[in-house]
Amino acid sequence: MNVEISDLTRRFGRTHAVAGVSLQAGAGVFGLLGPNGAGKTTLLRMMATVIPPSSGKLRLLGRDPGSYGPRREIRRRVGYLPQNLGYYPGFTVAEFVEYFALLKDMPSRQVPRAVAAAVEQVGLGDKARSRLRTLSGGMLRRAGIAQAIVNQPELLLLDEPTAGLDPEQRVTFRALLRDLGERATVIVSTHLVEDVGAACGEVALMDAGKIVFRGTPDELTARGEGSGAAGDAPLERGYSAVLATARSATAVRS
Amino acid sequence: MTATTEAPVRHRTPRARGVVLPPAARLLRIELRRSTMPWILPVIAALFWFDSYRFGAGTPPYWVLRTFWNMGQGRTFMDFAPFVAGVAAWIGSRDGRRRTADLVAGAVWPRWGAQLVAWAAAAIWAVGGYLVFVCVMFAVYAHQQSLQGSPPWWWVAVGAAAVTAFTAAGFAVGAFFPSRFAAPVAAFGAFLAVIVSSQNGFGDTSGWPLILPNNANGNYQPISGIFYPYLPDLPIARIMFLAGIAVAALGLLGLPARAGGAWLRRAAVVVTMAGLAAAGTASVLVRTARLTPHGMVIPALHDAANDRPIRYTPVCGHAAGVPVCLNPAYRRYLAEVAADLRPVLAEVAGLPGAPVRVAQVAGRYASGMFEDQVDQAGVWVTISGSPPVLQLPLDVFNTLPSATPGSAGQFDQELPLLSVHEFVAGSGGGTAAQQAVQAALLAHGGIPFAAQPQALEIFGLPNWAGEDLLGLAPAGGPSPSPRGPVYAAARRFAGLPAAARHAWLAAHLAALRSGQLTLGQLP
Repeated sequence: MNVEISDLTRRFGRTHAVAGVSLQAGAGVFGLLGPNGAGKTTLLRMMATVIPPSSGKLRLLGRDPGSYGPRREIRRRVGYLPQNLGYYPGFTVAEFVEYFALLKDMPSRQVPRAVAAAVEQVGLGDKARSRLRTLSGGMLRRAGIAQAIVNQPELLLLDEPTAGLDPEQRVTFRALLRDLGERATVIVSTHLVEDVGAACGEVALMDAGKIVFRGTPDELTARGEGSGAAGDAPLERGYSAVLATARSATAVRS
Repeated sequence: MTATTEAPVRHRTPRARGVVLPPAARLLRIELRRSTMPWILPVIAALFWFDSYRFGAGTPPYWVLRTFWNMGQGRTFMDFAPFVAGVAAWIGSRDGRRRTADLVAGAVWPRWGAQLVAWAAAAIWAVGGYLVFVCVMFAVYAHQQSLQGSPPWWWVAVGAAAVTAFTAAGFAVGAFFPSRFAAPVAAFGAFLAVIVSSQNGFGDTSGWPLILPNNANGNYQPISGIFYPYLPDLPIARIMFLAGIAVAALGLLGLPARAGGAWLRRAAVVVTMAGLAAAGTASVLVRTARLTPHGMVIPALHDAANDRPIRYTPVCGHAAGVPVCLNPAYRRYLAEVAADLRPVLAEVAGLPGAPVRVAQVAGRYASGMFEDQVDQAGVWVTISGSPPVLQLPLDVFNTLPSATPGSAGQFDQELPLLSVHEFVAGSGGGTAAQQAVQAALLAHGGIPFAAQPQALEIFGLPNWAGEDLLGLAPAGGPSPSPRGPVYAAARRFAGLPAAARHAWLAAHLAALRSGQLTLGQLP
């Protein structure tokens, strides 16, 4: 298992952003669904070793990120696309990707080829020398994806990767996800259930800092059948039904 | 994305080339290429031209005088400091402003390392710009204006250290307070720092204020680079101080939890402490500084080899009737010095104690800036030795002919005036009889009576001599007239035939010098 999480929590003051999550994930594309504030981004930031957990156990790629040496090894093998992608407007696409490839400690000799390949993979080959400030929102997102995959990560964490992409780009991006998922663990956090349905082999639904559902997209779809839950697509209805069930159970407990 | 790559697309993406740079060098190359620091350099260049270069343009053509304002007073780095601090703060706040902190913090490289690379690029641009501007200025000085002496490289190094320190401090401000206001706040803070430093630099000649990078008091000697080397003691202390500030500021960047691992943060603590220790040590060292006749000495940093005078072969001329020998750096003044001295030397030729040679000597300095040093130095021109030699410390003459209007005329009066005064009255203000004889000799030496009170006032002789000369140069009034009993006696004496004056002086010079004669005893 590339991701082993047990009873993981993360607090910000009095807020429990992640309140006891347990999760295992191997190779393949894993979807992380949930409403705003469910804790998806915080969970991904902990998995990206950007912030440490408040409690619980986290093992990534068979290593404990709490220790400095293993954390470096994990970071070497992880790709991360944050929800709010920051960028340096004066950098070109190639420089931006190269910059983070170097920060990921890639062997210097491999960097140019890896940068070219990553930029090509996200379809920005002809924009490699364009300044980031001149790119559209969708292109910036693709540049962000390129920096995440430049080191051919074993664990790829993508937070809202399709935000800002047009339908055509989303279709090609899903193909890329499926391709990456064949050799790595790809965890995709998204609001867009159709992305999950098209690309993910497994999905978890988070609400209020906890995982309230885990299964395949088909199983999530099945939860919505006959439930009368809101939604235009079968997967959306499953999403709504699971959330409604989880919230009513929480209300009963409280 | 992958689907779009089926058809061959011509584009330019990075390819592996011959030489593979290490990662740090590649990061630095990217940062250098995209740093915002070069954008501010044209603004600094304009300021540099008006504030640093032009300021010294009117001074005599000696490195130490021409560069006094831009190196000694630190104007050159003052032009840089606020701007580079502001831009460095802008760069330092980049990860916070551009929301890239998560990406950088989640990378293998510690965030501190990435920040140091970004700072290094900014510092290379800033210091490189500083050095280019200074070198261009020096090249203009050297090739178009033929400056004499040697360039003050130690003070250039202090400026480079100051630019580095302000860049580091500005970067730290930006990193810790990442907002759009970081840059203006850092720039204004740097501006205040240099202004406070400059103001203290005018008033303090000893103690810790000597560490301030633009304090020129007592450490920027006019003889430096001509008679003696620039003493590196104070520059070394200041470089240590400024480097300490820079290191401490950069060390602070490594202290936050996100900067890197535990061992790295411990290293950052050590670096910060080392920087503070260096700055503190330098501040303590300057408290032991003392001013010697040719520069500021800090015993712990002093190398006695630097006390040795610069050897030179004097250039001599005989147009004054006696040999006049100057340092080759002052060769351009040889003819003028000889012409100015010839009339007065002719007046006293053959008299007891009359100089048989004129030699340039290095000036002596007490403390303070140039003018104060001159005032406190007492005697400028001396006649000593056997046979007597008129010794001229030309380097302390404020009125060396230069681009300043009227300076040549002032020099032509100052030199005979001081020489005659030394011959007749020595170091004091002189008795009324001495003042009268001096006025008469000057009248024949090229300074008419009408011009003498003004000349005395300009050259500060009344101040130097206390109240004694007030009769010669009454205070107030745009052009005081030569009246009173002293000038009446002077006119009588000057009206004698040259042979009679000479004969009288030969007979009475000893009594006149010893102050035993009164006005009534003059012929």
